[in-house]
Amino acid sequence: MGKITLYGVDASPPVRACKLTLAALGLPYDFVVVNLMEREHLSEAYLKKNPQHTVPMLEDDGACIWDSHAIICYLVSKYAKDDSLYPKDLLKRAVVDQRLYFESGVVFTNALRSITAPIFMHGIKVVPKERIQAITEVYDFLETFLKDNDYIAGDHLTIADFSVVSTVTSLPVFLEIDAAKYVKLTAWIKRLEKLPYYSENSVGVQQFFGLIKNLGITVEA
Amino acid sequence: MGKLTLYGFDPSPPVRPVKLALAALQVPYDFIEVNVIKREQLSEEYLKKNPQHTVPMLEDGEACIWDSHAIMAYLVSKYGKDDSLYPKDPLQRAIVDQRLYFESGVVYADAIRRTNTYVFTTKVLPKERLEAIVEVYNLMESFLMKHDYIAGDHLTIADFSLISSISSLVAYVEIDSSKWKKLSAWIKRMEKLPYYSENAIGAEQFIALVKNTNFTVEA
Repeated sequence: MGKITLYGVDASPPVRACKLTLAALGLPYDFVVVNLMEREHLSEAYLKKNPQHTVPMLEDDGACIWDSHAIICYLVSKYAKDDSLYPKDLLKRAVVDQRLYFESGVVFTNALRSITAPIFMHGIKVVPKERIQAITEVYDFLETFLKDNDYIAGDHLTIADFSVVSTVTSLPVFLEIDAAKYVKLTAWIKRLEKLPYYSENSVGVQQFFGLIKNLGITVEA
Repeated sequence: MGKLTLYGFDPSPPVRPVKLALAALQVPYDFIEVNVIKREQLSEEYLKKNPQHTVPMLEDGEACIWDSHAIMAYLVSKYGKDDSLYPKDPLQRAIVDQRLYFESGVVYADAIRRTNTYVFTTKVLPKERLEAIVEVYNLMESFLMKHDYIAGDHLTIADFSLISSISSLVAYVEIDSSKWKKLSAWIKRMEKLPYYSENAIGAEQFIALVKNTNFTVEA
């Protein structure tokens, strides 16, 4: 097995999805911090490896792979002892895939990044009300997906849980999860918090919360 | 083979990649229109099958599958004579996957969906929306720097996903072929696919819908 290197920062939800997956697979790797505030992702060296200049990025034996979802699918396909984290059965896989694309579009891009990009790139201090509606939409959909399942894509843990939990546990800094309204969602988060390697997410969540609070971000009333 | 039914709406960018894939795989299917402008995706019957109430949705026998990218991956895996449209090799697949997730997030959720929301409601487009679209074109140009297709040297479902989006985004920002050489060449390459009408017809409908709003760009 070649050397695995993960590039990123703990505060970033997609990076944490990769860390959860690497821990679940018991894979050793080097972690290289890419300081986004210092624009290290825009360095010539980084751009050569990843022209989309995002984190996380995985280097495996010389090959550069990015996008957290592509990375975690790759890791399971290449290194897992069995396919439970990313089932090979076509219908089961289609459900996991749908949840992963849901995370990428509806959760990360529309709910989180639409808020954080103006904050980190343009110094915006107030989150507009309509961005909060995008978060409510996420919580509502997840509650529905979890209606008959203990895990986000069915009755057992998959990489979709890692992908979704990393972002969903970051969103409450803008809109808390009402435990009385989102019973299933709250229970699912508690279920994942019991994973022996959950600190791979929780440490970064605290850093992300700290980052937002230190910038004095408020939400439009 | 069970009966395949595709639920969708031709102007909708995510529906057309699935039509391209079905045509490429030469798999017969029924098409049921779900007019999202009339909010038909919110009917009780549709919500039972797809609680996320999006199009496209594929019914294969009893199973309901949604999200265009998940559908295409499923179709190639199940019906493809070989894996060229969605390679099984983990590294090759990782590249196709990254392009698909790029489409789902940066291109569709941000550049298309958020822009559409302004255009079809307030009819005033903030300038940064056009910048987001230009950024998409720039990234596409970089992905195509060394390859004829978006994920490498041959056609994959990532090309289907992205040609639909790009041919829709031109409703907002034209593609200057002197500025985006590789992107323009790739578009022309895709237009030569014998089944390209599966995208072209709906793309024209989408562009017409956008132009009919008479939206303006914030100064």
